[in-house]
Order: sequence, then C-alpha cells, then structure tokens
Amino acid sequence: MKIAIVSTHPPGKGSLTEYGYHFIRFLRTKTENVSEIILLLDELPAGEKYEFGQEPGQVPVSVHVCWKFGAMNNALRIRQTVLETKPDVVLFNIQFASFAGGKVAATLGLLAPWLVRSSGFKTAVLLHNIMETVNLKQAGFGGNPVIETVIRLFGNMVTRFILQANLVAVTIPKYVEILEAKYHANNVLLAPHGSFEETNREMPSAVPAGPPNIMTFGKFGTYKKVEVLVEAFERLLPDHPTAKLVIAGTDNPNVKGYLDGIRDKYARVPNITFTGYVSEEQVPIIFGDSWVVVFPYTSTTGSSGVLHQAGGYGKPVVLPRLGDLEQLVIEEGYEGEFFEPESPESLAEAICRVIDHPERMMEMGSVNFMAATGLPITEVVDWYLIHFEQLLKK
Amino acid sequence: MSIEIKTTEYVLKIVCFAIKGRLDAFEAPALRKRCDDFLAEGTAHFVFDLSEVTMLDSAGLAVLVSALKRSRMASGDVRLVWPREEIASRILKLTKFDQVFTSIDSSEIVPKGF
Repeated sequence: MKIAIVSTHPPGKGSLTEYGYHFIRFLRTKTENVSEIILLLDELPAGEKYEFGQEPGQVPVSVHVCWKFGAMNNALRIRQTVLETKPDVVLFNIQFASFAGGKVAATLGLLAPWLVRSSGFKTAVLLHNIMETVNLKQAGFGGNPVIETVIRLFGNMVTRFILQANLVAVTIPKYVEILEAKYHANNVLLAPHGSFEETNREMPSAVPAGPPNIMTFGKFGTYKKVEVLVEAFERLLPDHPTAKLVIAGTDNPNVKGYLDGIRDKYARVPNITFTGYVSEEQVPIIFGDSWVVVFPYTSTTGSSGVLHQAGGYGKPVVLPRLGDLEQLVIEEGYEGEFFEPESPESLAEAICRVIDHPERMMEMGSVNFMAATGLPITEVVDWYLIHFEQLLKK
Repeated sequence: MSIEIKTTEYVLKIVCFAIKGRLDAFEAPALRKRCDDFLAEGTAHFVFDLSEVTMLDSAGLAVLVSALKRSRMASGDVRLVWPREEIASRILKLTKFDQVFTSIDSSEIVPKGF
C-alpha cells in the first residue's frame, strides 16, 4: 500500500507537528503493509529543511513540499501533487486551522480532501477537532457574534466537504456521535489518539527528586492560557517556597509575543522557567522531572496529545472541568484532579491535592501510565491500516 | 481391482477466548499475552467471545486489532461474538470495527454438522 500523508512535521512548528512526527515514525515501521510513504508537507522558513533518513526495516519516504500555511491555493497544490504521485490512499492529519489563520485561506485549504477524493483517490481525514465544539473566540477566531455566526455557517459547509472523504477519523467518541447526528454521516469513526511514547518505558518508581515541579506543555496564547496557572502558582508559593513552575513550549503561531507578555506581567512571581521551544530530545527530560502536568485550557479543540504524553511518563494531571477533556479522561481510563476554569484558587487547590500527597501522586501516575501505554500510537497506526485495507477492497 | 482411497485430513485449530468482565487497560495485557502465546506456536484462527464483556476500552480493542493483524499475516482470521452490553458494543460501532471484524453467534464457534 502506497500512502500519502498531508501533515505538518518537525522542524515545522505548525499545529499537529508532534502528532504528524510520531504517526509517520511508526507508519515507517509497518513494512509488511506499506510499500511507500509520500509526505505532503508545508513549506518551511528559509534555512530549514525536512530530513528523513533511510534505515533497514523502514518504509521509504518521499517528501513533497506542496502547501504553505496561510496560502489560498493549498488545496489545488495538494491535489496536483497527489495526481503526480498516485498513492493508494491519502490521509490528512488536520484540524480546522491547519492550513491558515485567516478564515478564507483556512476554508479553502480544508477543501483539499474533497478535491482529492473527487480526483479518484481514496481519502481519509484524521480531524483533530470539530467545529461544533470549538470555542471560536478562545481558539483565536471570531471576535464578535456576527463574525462567529458566519464562521459557524462556513464551518458547517466545510465539515460537509470534509465528510466527502471516504473515512473521517476523530479522536473522541462524542465527536462521532455529533457528526453522525448532525450531518447523517456514516463514514465517521473513532480512532483514539494513542500514546506517542515507546511502550518499553517503565512507570517511575518514585516522585522525582528536588522541589515540587509543576509543568505545563504546549503552544500558548489561544485557548491554552497560563495567567490562571501563574496566579495559582503564586498562591501556593507561601506554603511551597521551593516549588517551580515550568512553562514548556512556545507561543501559538496566531498569538505571537504572548509568552513574553506573560513574563513581563508576572515578573514579580519567582521560580518560573520559560523553556521556549522543546525539541524531541528534551521532551523526556521535561516530563520526567515534573511532579504534575497542568492543563491551563480555557476551551479545548480536540483530544490532547499532552495528556497522552503525561500518561506515558506516569504523571498525574490537573485539568479544567471542560466537556471534552473531562470526557476524554473518563472514557480513556485516565485519572485527574479537576479545577474550575479561570479560577486560580481552584487550580491551586487542585495542584496541592496532588503534590502534597505522594501516594496519590504515584497512584494517579500509575493509572495514567496504564491508560497511555494501553494504546501506543503504533497500534493506532494499525487501526488506520486495517481500515485502509477495508477501503481498498471496496 | 482394489478401490482407490484418497484420504484428506482437515485440521483447523481455532482458539476461542471467552472473556467475562471488563476488557480495559488493566486487563488487556493478560489477554494479549495469551493470544501472543498461541500466535507464537502457530495458531492463526481466533474467536473472541465478548458476549459477557461488560466494558471494552481502546486498550481492549487494541488487543483485538493486534490479533487480527497478526492472524491475517499468518493467513488466519479473527471473529467476534458480539458483546451483549451496550457500553461494550458501542465502542465497536464507534470505531467501525463492526465493518472490519466478522461477527458470529456463539453457537457458530464450532462448525456444525458433526
């Protein structure tokens, strides 16, 4: 089977690079099912380039840089590249803002799966969020109710186009039910996110040495905002004077300068580390050193890769009481402490319920470890391949 | 002139796992281990009787997918006896594995007629 994947990938810094990286990494090990992987990736800044080695036992990869974040003609360029490379199946690893921050370009880009299928290719979409559950304002779109209504209407239309793909995979059970009920779709399936990490790692045997290390990880500024977390941290410092807060990651591309603003605004709060961009090699260290991973989300736009990463490292998690996340935690077997979104008091209390109780910390970490390692992404890749085989038989 | 007798022996080994209770991240590794052992000794046909499974999560499903993939590679197959509990059958429908796995009745596990 020759598979094309439309995605972002490191060193690109767009959304879903992490997922794209790990999915492709494990797809390359499936030599018994896959003969070639055709990567349809986005343009990188000057001086950067994609690098894929070729080791024995790996599926060969060819890279085709054929779309650009923010461009209007992404769908056409992707279709053209698919026509030239002739894969058996094309998989899109996308969310609603994958192709652009602007509304028009984002919408046009999302027509790509429909265009590719219309050209006669089997098409699957891994859709990481759905319009029905996105808080547009907090996700960086919208701003006034009229614009939001217009975006929602366009969102409905775009969703209908995306649903023209042969298969549409989503990562949360509720998404399947929403798409089936609202759009009468019968080609939507649940494909859980899966854990990025290797399954041969062992559950940590003890709380990491040193002072309490509270960590958050991601691309910040839209719906991942750290103000409440910093204020919660400030509240717990008197009782935990050596505690550290690690804000790991960068600004969301739509909100450049956000973390610099936070650094200035909260210059009075000690013991905060801003790591900046975290490379793949640094990820195990950042997670390994943490006592607890906090999700300072104001809304969610899909399943959280960070939750699966935290679980893979056996870490307890503190999450807001928001529909998607709470449901995901329960349905995927994770355990977390919850706080009221936008309440520093509630968040500080939730963090203390973890870091003040080492046994509870280890117990939660263990449950999350089991949940994350129960379904590593390599097995999720097998789920897709089994569905692709089924698709190619039709 | 003596008759000609052509003898053909058909031996098809099918292993059936009848699972009772929750098939989740905590219980799935034990099932996976059992299945791996049979695969390693050459068994390629499996039935997972899920009729008494009360809850099935993604880790449990991963065992079924892994078994299907590996049995197909050995020219075998995996069949499912559908769970009676709605909570367990729901995830099979959501994942569209009802279109991937062949489901059978528990009475069909052993070929009839003997």
